[in-house]
Amino acid sequence: MEGNILIVDDNDIIVKSCESILTPEGFVITGSTDSSEAIELIRNNDYDIVVTDINMPGIDGYELIRQVNAIKPSTGIVVITGFASQQNIRDILQLGIIDYMSKPFSPHILIETITKAMYLVKKIKAIAAGPDSETEAKRKTDALNAIINEYKTTPGALLRVLESAQDLIGYLPPSVQRFIAVGLRIPVSEVYSVVSFYPYFTMKARGRHHIKVCVGNACHAKKAGQILTRLKRNLNFNEDSLTADGRFSYETIRCLGACGFAPIVEIDYDTHGGVDPDKTLDLLKDYH
Amino acid sequence: MPAIKVKFTNKSIDKLTIEDLKAIQDNYKDPRVRGSRASILLCGGAACKARGSAAIQEALLSELKNKGIDGEVSIYETGCNGFCNQSPVMNIYPDMTLYQTFKPEDVPSIVEEHFTKGQPAERFVYKDLKDKKSIPNRQEIPFFSLQTRRVLNKCGLIEPDDIEAYIYHGGYMAMARAVTGMRPQEIVREVKDSGLRGRGGGGFPTGLKWEICGVRPDETKYVICNAGPISRSIVETDPHSIIEGMIIAGRAVGAKKGFVYVREPDNLFILRRLHTAIERARLCGFLGDDIFNSGFNFTIDVAFGAGTFICGEETALIRSLEGKRGFPTPKPPFPAQSGLWGRPTIVDNAETFANVPLIIANSPAWFRSVGTHDSPGTKIFTLSGAVNSNGLIEVPMGTTFRTIVYDIGGGLKKKSKFKAIHIGGPTGGVIPESLLDTPATYEAITAAGVIVGSGNIIVMDNNTCMVNEAMSAMEFGHGESCGKCVPCRIGTKVMYDKLLDITEGRGKLQDLDTLAELAYEVKRTSLCGLGQTSPIMVLTALKHFREEFEEHITEGWCQAGKCRSLSTFVIESKTCSGCGSCARKCPQEAISGEKKKPHLIDKDLCIKCRSCFETCPFNSIRIEPGVAEEVDSW
Repeated sequence: MEGNILIVDDNDIIVKSCESILTPEGFVITGSTDSSEAIELIRNNDYDIVVTDINMPGIDGYELIRQVNAIKPSTGIVVITGFASQQNIRDILQLGIIDYMSKPFSPHILIETITKAMYLVKKIKAIAAGPDSETEAKRKTDALNAIINEYKTTPGALLRVLESAQDLIGYLPPSVQRFIAVGLRIPVSEVYSVVSFYPYFTMKARGRHHIKVCVGNACHAKKAGQILTRLKRNLNFNEDSLTADGRFSYETIRCLGACGFAPIVEIDYDTHGGVDPDKTLDLLKDYH
Repeated sequence: MPAIKVKFTNKSIDKLTIEDLKAIQDNYKDPRVRGSRASILLCGGAACKARGSAAIQEALLSELKNKGIDGEVSIYETGCNGFCNQSPVMNIYPDMTLYQTFKPEDVPSIVEEHFTKGQPAERFVYKDLKDKKSIPNRQEIPFFSLQTRRVLNKCGLIEPDDIEAYIYHGGYMAMARAVTGMRPQEIVREVKDSGLRGRGGGGFPTGLKWEICGVRPDETKYVICNAGPISRSIVETDPHSIIEGMIIAGRAVGAKKGFVYVREPDNLFILRRLHTAIERARLCGFLGDDIFNSGFNFTIDVAFGAGTFICGEETALIRSLEGKRGFPTPKPPFPAQSGLWGRPTIVDNAETFANVPLIIANSPAWFRSVGTHDSPGTKIFTLSGAVNSNGLIEVPMGTTFRTIVYDIGGGLKKKSKFKAIHIGGPTGGVIPESLLDTPATYEAITAAGVIVGSGNIIVMDNNTCMVNEAMSAMEFGHGESCGKCVPCRIGTKVMYDKLLDITEGRGKLQDLDTLAELAYEVKRTSLCGLGQTSPIMVLTALKHFREEFEEHITEGWCQAGKCRSLSTFVIESKTCSGCGSCARKCPQEAISGEKKKPHLIDKDLCIKCRSCFETCPFNSIRIEPGVAEEVDSW
């Protein structure tokens, strides 16, 4: 994977080791042990991701994140923290970051987190909508907290919490999954196992309008394949099934149980039945 | 969710007694006659909604106002009529005229004909398929008259949200009887005597399941209704019948808590309907504490999954309710012994629950009056594919598939030749013409090598390629496999790859034996219903249509033209009239030729979309074996 990364930590060893671990992965790394110097670097260069410590002399991590959001709002932020308390995490998340790592972390975790973050940043840039503003992120974090608190004592509420969280945020990136895990006092792996199991949950950002094409056997028999081909050919989806302008994303689903009415295409909450493959594109006209 | 208010025509009460129920039955005016002259029952099913029933409702309202009869004629939105082929559909009470396939702009002429001239609007009534005679009356249309609608009795005729309409049709009386006048063991006995079997596909005797759960000494037990897409139609049209069935089940086994499990959390329509129904039943005192002063408490919650096929399997469904990955667990212990949170739990599908009030109200003998000895009662099927009338049907068990396809379904569409029927939904299989006289019972269907499953019947014509269908079934199988058991997780993938090879011209004859062997092993060694049924399509297709597989492999020929690498589209110059309709349809502009002279297809441009084949009015397009593509040697 490619991308420009700035690593800010007052501890030289952390900066150097991140550099030596990430450079072989194909990333271009710049290191800085001084946060005011880092802000200058950010102002003058284009970084995809800024990895920053929280506790630093002078300008601390919180302030740095605020500055980055103000100067280059499309930059993704990953936080390194030695204090992974829930309060701490909440404060960080309210700043609209992508992910966080608790010290100490292994090279494996570093690579995985950065690769995931880079993937998200590229996508956010692709849909040309910068990350949430600070107030928006705060509103969402508060709302997520309220959801977690509501279900904290209900057994088996994980699915409900995840559904509400996805409704709120649009998708379930790693930071949200971890936040929920900490809040519900269950292992992150359990949250991930549920998110990855159910097709309703998505870890990818979706377009403004989400198209679902049914490929169940009744719809398959009635040319759902041609509908799909036409969508793909005309909309130029990227590898995440998202169009470049962020207008549409699509997925295939299996059987909505309205087979008498095949083939079926769902756009947002509207169900279109008996779709003529030739007229597939006409369906999209009203969705901007 | 908006606050739901219950208004009664008689009086507003927060708890109803059995006397109140009777009073409602006597006094309540059927919504069908609430308009003094007539009522329009507009179908609000998914198919009709998608074909503009909302616009039609507006057009009707304004047209009735124009004519000055809006005070005499009222409009109600009902649940799905099941006549989805002809959507949009509306019935006009009291003469039960059924209008179908019309557009909002046709509304003025229908209103003019029907209400001003007092005669059915000929253009929009159903026409008999054979003699083209108009059949305006709903009950006389073969699609309806040949069915035995018990569970779907009220479907399309009442407002699903209207609890009073349900009570008027005898609703909640069975529950009242069960709660106040019967001991739990008596309820179980009646259900057992009726011979009702789980309508979710497996066909496990419901009474037996209830008995196993009922004798457990546990304090806490649960009743779960699986309202997956399969039984969506009942939730949509008649949600109170499910709620009533669940209360009776709760009483019978000693459970105080019920869940309705909906697979898709984004299905707002179904959720709203369920919430409304549950809330109204609660306000009437049918749910909650001390139902009918009997000391029996029962509540129902709506619970969602997050959209996986596997969660239709009862143990997986329970795991999903517990907020976990939907992995099935081995049986025994059966959920009736140890289910949700380790407590005895009954999991039944919505159709099963909807049958229960009918049994309690009418007697087990009445229930057994249709169907066969081992599979009594009726079963709901969805009929789709190459038949003239498709939609939702309910027939006595034991009805042959020939009757379903040729009488109720009205036979095959023009130009279509029967090839097979596919039964059982995504994990079902096919039966050929020779087995069409199989009666629709659990035993006979299993003996034919397929499953009742979701009760989905797809009629396949000669345009269907069995290899392709088997491949899509395996794609479903490996896509929906939860991954717990190796045979299902890997076996289905290997089978999919082999089938893909065959459809793309890389298949070998010995692959067929490997496929059959794998299918057999996956079926035999998987833990749950999904793994045990997903290879059925491959097994049945290989059994009945092996020559088609061989043709794909040895001749490189897909006669249906569905496998692109194995078909070439050619215009027969002798019969081609040169009308040019295929050239206009071709998305690649690969067809050329002068007017009135035989046309030609450019093989290099052709993407084998079949549109010319389907368009040609003279059947001049032939499908020939595919041309082997040159492969660079290494």
